[in-house]
Amino acid sequence: MRRSDLGEFEELVLLAVAALRPEAYSVVIAQELEEQTKKLVTTGAVHASLQRLEKKGYVISEMGPATKERGGRRKRLFTVTALGSKMLHQAREVREGLWEKIDPNTLSPIPKLS
Amino acid sequence: MKQQVKPSKWIDWLVNKLCPEDLQEEILGDLHERYTINHGTGKKRSQARLLIETIVYLRFTIFNRNKKQYSKPNATTMLKHYFITGLRNTLRHKSFAAINVLGLTLGLTSFFLIFLWVSDELSIDAFHENEDDLYALYMVTNANGEVNGAYKIWEYVYFGGSEYYDKVWLDEMLKDRLPEIENISSYVTTYELPWGFPHTFQHEEKKYRMEGATASGDFFKMFSFEILFGDKASPIDQINTVAISRKMASTFFDRPEDAVGKIIRYENKLDLLVTAVFEDVTSYSSLQFDYIISYENQRNRDINISDNRWPVYIQLKKGTDKEAFAEKLKDFNASFKNPEFQEIYLGMQPFKDQYLMSSFTNGKPDKGRVEYLRIFSGVAIFILIIACVNFTNLATSRATKRGKEIGVRKVIGSTKHSIVLQFLGEAFLLTSLAGILSILIIYLVMPAFNLFTGKQIQMPINDPMSWTYFLGIIFATAILAGAYPAFYMSSLKPVKVLKGLVRFNQASRMFKRGLTVFQFGLSILLLIATIVVSKQTNYVQNTNLGYEKENVIYLRVEGTLTQEEKYNVFKNRLLGLPGVAMVDRSSEAPHDMTFEIAGPFKWQGMEEGTQLAFKPTSVGYDFLEMMGLEVVEGRGFSKNNPTDSSAFMINETALKMMNLQDPLGKQISAWGKSGRIIGILKDYHTHSLKEPIKPLIVDIKEDLDFGVIMIKSELGQTVEALGSLEIANSEINPEYPLDYEFMDLEYAKLYESENVMSSLSNIFAVLAIAISCLGLLGLAIFSSEQRVKEIGIRKVLGASVSSIIQLFSRDFLKLVGLSFLIAAPVSGYLMQQWLQNFAYKINITWWMYLLTGIASIAIAFLTVAYQTVKAAKTNPIQNLRSE
Repeated sequence: MRRSDLGEFEELVLLAVAALRPEAYSVVIAQELEEQTKKLVTTGAVHASLQRLEKKGYVISEMGPATKERGGRRKRLFTVTALGSKMLHQAREVREGLWEKIDPNTLSPIPKLS
Repeated sequence: MKQQVKPSKWIDWLVNKLCPEDLQEEILGDLHERYTINHGTGKKRSQARLLIETIVYLRFTIFNRNKKQYSKPNATTMLKHYFITGLRNTLRHKSFAAINVLGLTLGLTSFFLIFLWVSDELSIDAFHENEDDLYALYMVTNANGEVNGAYKIWEYVYFGGSEYYDKVWLDEMLKDRLPEIENISSYVTTYELPWGFPHTFQHEEKKYRMEGATASGDFFKMFSFEILFGDKASPIDQINTVAISRKMASTFFDRPEDAVGKIIRYENKLDLLVTAVFEDVTSYSSLQFDYIISYENQRNRDINISDNRWPVYIQLKKGTDKEAFAEKLKDFNASFKNPEFQEIYLGMQPFKDQYLMSSFTNGKPDKGRVEYLRIFSGVAIFILIIACVNFTNLATSRATKRGKEIGVRKVIGSTKHSIVLQFLGEAFLLTSLAGILSILIIYLVMPAFNLFTGKQIQMPINDPMSWTYFLGIIFATAILAGAYPAFYMSSLKPVKVLKGLVRFNQASRMFKRGLTVFQFGLSILLLIATIVVSKQTNYVQNTNLGYEKENVIYLRVEGTLTQEEKYNVFKNRLLGLPGVAMVDRSSEAPHDMTFEIAGPFKWQGMEEGTQLAFKPTSVGYDFLEMMGLEVVEGRGFSKNNPTDSSAFMINETALKMMNLQDPLGKQISAWGKSGRIIGILKDYHTHSLKEPIKPLIVDIKEDLDFGVIMIKSELGQTVEALGSLEIANSEINPEYPLDYEFMDLEYAKLYESENVMSSLSNIFAVLAIAISCLGLLGLAIFSSEQRVKEIGIRKVLGASVSSIIQLFSRDFLKLVGLSFLIAAPVSGYLMQQWLQNFAYKINITWWMYLLTGIASIAIAFLTVAYQTVKAAKTNPIQNLRSE
């Protein structure tokens, strides 16, 4: 297993691509992640991750339609590849295996959102 | 869909500048979309957010800048593609390509020919190792407020009088007093005018005439004339020594090296020891000689000199301050001040400049051949520009044909840059082709060109520097010719051209017309110049000189002829032989009298201190009749009048300048010989028409041991006269081989450089007009191709061929007319300047302009009409059938 291959942020981006299919592109991914993590996520960072993921073969991309918000520019749409989904499954297995072994009393409870 | 909100422009600009091209679309899209989304959060916040987003992008993309996802097509592929496209275009439009290449070839050929000629002129005297330290001295005199300079220095005048003539020598004195001088040499030729001639040398039975000089011992040290055999260090230091050229040595001896140590007899009076043999003097030297006799013989007065003044050359020590030395030289004469010649001083000029700048104004050499060099360099550049203009004009016109190609290229993604490169490349290709052709042409015409200019120019094939120049010129021409079309084409808008709407806007139309006007203006200027130059040359050669130079043969007074009684025998013998009409003598050949002197003349009523320079000549009794000179007052010399042997005649100019009333019978003296003025001669030209007629004084002397004997042959009996001359010479003067000249031919030689210039300007003017017409032809072909439908429709509607020709020619003729209006005054001004070189000149008259005007318009019309007639005569059905 190549743990080091998938960074934490990359994993999130990859998950977002999967979740937002078929309309997954940098801006919506950044918006989604920002909403989920409540932290500032720039499209630049997302774009960089997407490029790295594409290079590793976890996603593929194609140019989509142009929209007015983009000043008539086209967007690059991403889809998760078979290799990408395998990586995600593996990551999830690892996590869930570990979660199951945790004694429920070890962790403090989830703080309530006000 | 949400309305887009646009972020500041500078963000776009920044991203476009910094980010790789293939990512710009995504990045900008992202930034814009994000900005639109965040717009609701307030202006400040969204702006700050945009900034952060941008910075994050930049950091990343700059980091990855070189890892482009989409590679550009590689350079060689594109070059190959451009080459093929260029070739196909050239082949498809053969007539345009031919016109372009032909024009450029002619332009480049003339440019290179002139370039070779100019660099050949510049290399004269440039071969001396010490060239930077070599100077020619000149003497500046100030007489009657007129400052004159001359290379020939009158040493005895300079040192203050004829009593010093044999005692003080400039070469010794200067070197003594001015320690900066490393070497110095007087250089006295023995063959130039007014009294020089090729001297006779004899070894055993062999006897030949040779041209050479005497020079000081330093001569071979300062100049790089290579000594092949014999004494290399100081060949001519001793009296009675001579150094001879290889050619001269092999004329007298079996092998040139045999000459060293041999005795050779000079003019049947001196035995000289050959101490050295030097390599033949190259044609790149302005000093030409076959022998150099020791200057000690000059000091001894054993050598016949051609003039009583001569040039002096110096070599300064390395590192001498030249300006300080020039000052010192100028002050040098202080110690020799002669009250009669107060303002004489010496000047100096770099030796290598002397060939090109040898005529003096205000006592400084500043003009000369260099003017021809400048004029022709200008002409060379003009012609090349005319050829470039052709190219520019034709290429721009064809934008309509190539427009679609450019449109498609741009749509596919070609940048402006690469289109510029493509068209410049095509220009370069055609120019190179023209360059290769022009080298071939030059190779073919080189012998004729050399014959023409009297040079021995070789193609500098082995000289890498010349090739560099050649490539440089080709490159510059290509840029000059191709730049405008390239930038014009690359700026075409793809949407417009693909719709088929290539319209030249007002500016580019004006530009094209301006170029045509410019090009024709230059051609017309050259044409007018040609007419003026050839008229002037013609005028100079055919003007009435005031005497008859035809059928006159002359030879030098030498050998036994220097004795008066032998001369009389010779004269009477000749007169008894067939073909000879008259025989007489003169102290100088009458068509080119260079001797001029002020001082030895006094006359009744002369004001004290008058310094009037005369040209003196001593002649025989029949001189006036033989030369056909006219007497305006008094009478000519007559043998029947015993006192005429001491009588004088003067010309009209002399009379005017002497300020003499009632001249006949007045006393006049020259060099102590005194007599009365018996007549006034009508002015005649005693020398080249570049100078005005000078005061002339004539007397009778039949006993001089120098001068020329002139033989006038019967009309049409030159051959017989020459035969008679041969007989008389072998009987009376057998020691000297017969050596004669024809006066009219020698007179023509005075204008050799003008003749060369006249023929050259003829050729180049014709070339310029030809190239310009090629351009016009191209434009005419193009416009008739463009308007082929229009012609068809006009013909269908009943237009006649002539009306169509009229319609098409009018535009072109207007342009030619305009260029004439511009060129005429400019050329008038320039030619007036040139004519200032002549004391006697033609007037530039209106018919010269009229002639060039009509000629250029006629040529232009014929060129255009030739093309249009073809177009106008085709059956309109053919023109209209397509579509």
